[in-house]
Amino acid sequence: MEYYTLSRYAYWKYYYLILYYKLQEYPASVRGWIVFGSICMLLLVLIVIGNFIRYISAYRFERLIARNRARYYNRMRSVVSQTRTLEPSEISAIMELPKNYKMKERQNRSFIPILKELRKDLGNSLSRQNWLRLLQALKMPAYFESQVLSRKIRKKVQAFKDVADLDATLKEAVASRYLFTKNRKLQMHARLHAARFGTSYPFKVLEEDPNLVFTEEMVVKYHNVLVYRQKNGLTMPNLIRWCNRVPVNDELRIFAVNEIRLFKRKEDCAELLAMLIASREEAFSCALIRALGELEYIPAEKEFCRRYLSASFTERQVLAEALGAMGSGNPDVVRFLEEDFLQTTDYVTRMVLLRVIYNYGSIGRASYEKLKREASPDLQPYFAHIECDLIDSRRYA
Amino acid sequence: MLEWFDTVFSYFVLVYSTIVLSSYVAMAILAFLEHRKHFTYHDDAYTIDELKKSPYTPGVSIVAPAYNEEKTVITNVKSLLSLDYPDFEVVIVNDGSKDKTLELLIETFDLVKVPYAYVEKIKTKPFRGLYKTKSDNPAFKRLTVVDKVNGGTKADASNAGVNVVSNKFFVCTDVDCVLDQYALYRIIWPTMASTRRVIAVSATMRMSNGSIVEEGKMVDARPPHDLIPLFQDLEYTRSFLIGKTALARINALQNVSGGFGMFDREIVIKAGGYDGDSFSEDMDMVARMVRYMCDAGEDYRIVQIPETCCWTEGPPNVKVLNRQRTRWGRGLFQFYGVHRDMVGNKNYRRYGALTLTYVLFFELLAPVVELIGYISVFWFFLRGAVNYHTIWIAFLGLYVFAQLLTMVIISYDVWVGTSFKRKKDYLWFVLASLLEPFLYHPLNTYFSLRGYWKHIWGTQMVWGNMTRKGVQSAKPAAPKPAAPMVQPNPEEKKTDA
Repeated sequence: MEYYTLSRYAYWKYYYLILYYKLQEYPASVRGWIVFGSICMLLLVLIVIGNFIRYISAYRFERLIARNRARYYNRMRSVVSQTRTLEPSEISAIMELPKNYKMKERQNRSFIPILKELRKDLGNSLSRQNWLRLLQALKMPAYFESQVLSRKIRKKVQAFKDVADLDATLKEAVASRYLFTKNRKLQMHARLHAARFGTSYPFKVLEEDPNLVFTEEMVVKYHNVLVYRQKNGLTMPNLIRWCNRVPVNDELRIFAVNEIRLFKRKEDCAELLAMLIASREEAFSCALIRALGELEYIPAEKEFCRRYLSASFTERQVLAEALGAMGSGNPDVVRFLEEDFLQTTDYVTRMVLLRVIYNYGSIGRASYEKLKREASPDLQPYFAHIECDLIDSRRYA
Repeated sequence: MLEWFDTVFSYFVLVYSTIVLSSYVAMAILAFLEHRKHFTYHDDAYTIDELKKSPYTPGVSIVAPAYNEEKTVITNVKSLLSLDYPDFEVVIVNDGSKDKTLELLIETFDLVKVPYAYVEKIKTKPFRGLYKTKSDNPAFKRLTVVDKVNGGTKADASNAGVNVVSNKFFVCTDVDCVLDQYALYRIIWPTMASTRRVIAVSATMRMSNGSIVEEGKMVDARPPHDLIPLFQDLEYTRSFLIGKTALARINALQNVSGGFGMFDREIVIKAGGYDGDSFSEDMDMVARMVRYMCDAGEDYRIVQIPETCCWTEGPPNVKVLNRQRTRWGRGLFQFYGVHRDMVGNKNYRRYGALTLTYVLFFELLAPVVELIGYISVFWFFLRGAVNYHTIWIAFLGLYVFAQLLTMVIISYDVWVGTSFKRKKDYLWFVLASLLEPFLYHPLNTYFSLRGYWKHIWGTQMVWGNMTRKGVQSAKPAAPKPAAPMVQPNPEEKKTDA
């Protein structure tokens, strides 16, 4: 009797045929359910195995972080706490890193939470030069570069976020590859990176992109970037140019106006006023009015009064608040606000006007008292509301 | 005739179950795509850090109605006030409590009645007053207490809260819900990251039964160890991580939970606020917001976020589950009566054309189909016409499919950042999944049918005693007292999650 060894294909085919002929005797519905159940069972087993592998891998990674924290945290701390700039060899000696050691990706990744913790602990007392050299010693820039150039989008995005969080360095050439990528999120992170660390004028991309979508998320992030640049003495963008020369994107123009207000750039007020005179868009006008009001640009007062009567209720509220914020002490302004208080039909506008008059110095307070005396009983609750210090001033009614 | 019926019924069951199973598979795939997107682009710590630093971070108001909550209200309000977010306010609406809820709040937070110029943007039962703190404690300054005449429903109390909130977005929750410390950062983020107007955000909710809560804060999230809340925890996780995530992916989410969900105040007011007569006021609110947006021809999004932001106490026993599910069943039936014009209507985009049609056939009618199935199988059995081979194999196939779905949600939960500290806690989910088809599912079918029956015959809804056992405290010496939800008929106090 001869024995044959079945090939792998024949082996599987053998069992398939056994099953096939066994199932032949059953109706189609039973066969269908068997196939369905078997697929589910197979997927179930695969998912269980996958979950188990992920669990083990996560557990091992956590142990690696704990090990590295125990071993390196204090050494890292002693490096970045020193005021004197250390030489790379000194850092290597403190860190006791093995010479010519090729850091694995997992090892680098495990350093990230430790480095973030260190930055948080030390805050402003951290020496920037030593910090950058420490990152260099840990081969973090090379790691970030490899992550940004990897195929997975998540790794790229995460690398940009980590670079921003750690205030690390990344070659501009690497980041600039994604400035015009079709992936909107990746593009945003690449642009944010360029805006944060760029040395020349990194905002050109933002200014010249006709397809720019400027979400609130970007507003938050770009503001943080500008704060970072100002703190580190880097070139600030020409915000007034953003207001003027980026007509394709209203959100960016509004953002620029708000940034002028937040950075208190009073030197731009004259141009903002010229823009307000020409502006017909409500959202942009409101941003301009708010900025001019908070920057206390008194020459804008006349324009505010001129716009007031033709404005919508929302714009009127912003105008009234801006006039209040300016606090020029002009009796005409109070008279103007008082007249509108008596005429307006919108209760929110009425509350805003009343609050502005109430807080408008002694002239305002006198006018307020007069209004209160003359007001009908149904208007009295508004006065009581305004006079109560415990009610949040944003809460009009 | 009988043969004709057998054939028609068999084909109906085949088609119906094929669509149901295919929809589950499709939803699991859509949810996978959404979770992958979230995993790729979202980094919780990074987002929180960015929002903390920015002056542009929008303010959020938390509206929490309270009715006869004297035993837990102080702890829970303190917990809400201690949330981490740069700009938020907590609006507690005392819905005419008959106990000392208001007095306790006044005493603890040093409140005084202020002459607030209340404007009723949404009609509610009469407003009695608004209270603010005299204290210099900055946390207390975030608190506003609204006192009003009892309206009988959570909807009426929520509407009063909406009337006084000062921020563009408000979170609607229950005063006894435990919120995650960073819940507000997570729930506001989608409104900022989206290119379209986000009108509502839903977040994942879980059961707090079995978890350790200290001073109203979640210390150790654990799965419930009692069967009924455990089943519900599994059901919630499946619903949020697969069903709602999938529907949100195609912008067709039908419900933002009343337990924890964020809404655009302006749209809520324009849509008329919560409907006090509805038994499913959260689903009804979303429907009316969608109706408003679609009728106005405006673009919108309703988002679901996967992170667990809120824990609520689930029904501890069958009696309470019965009341909850009967009401949900009734609410769903009522909802379709009110919004029938939206079903299958392309004007209401995917929400009307797809979700409402799907929910009608595979959620509202599912208990009815199931009942017919049970009766038919019994009838076939009496006639000796049962094909045992097919029944057993089909049952086994479906059972394995249910276990597969459970394993998928466990994977998703781990992927998006589990709230369980110990992975072995998931074994409780596996246990629940193994028992669910035999114990929990038939009960739910029965309770839903009961709700339909009551709605059809117009039976008066009786809100009996809803006993909450209270969550475990980390301090053994101070057990949390039970908070009875005693409500005289027909007044409702709160939505059970």
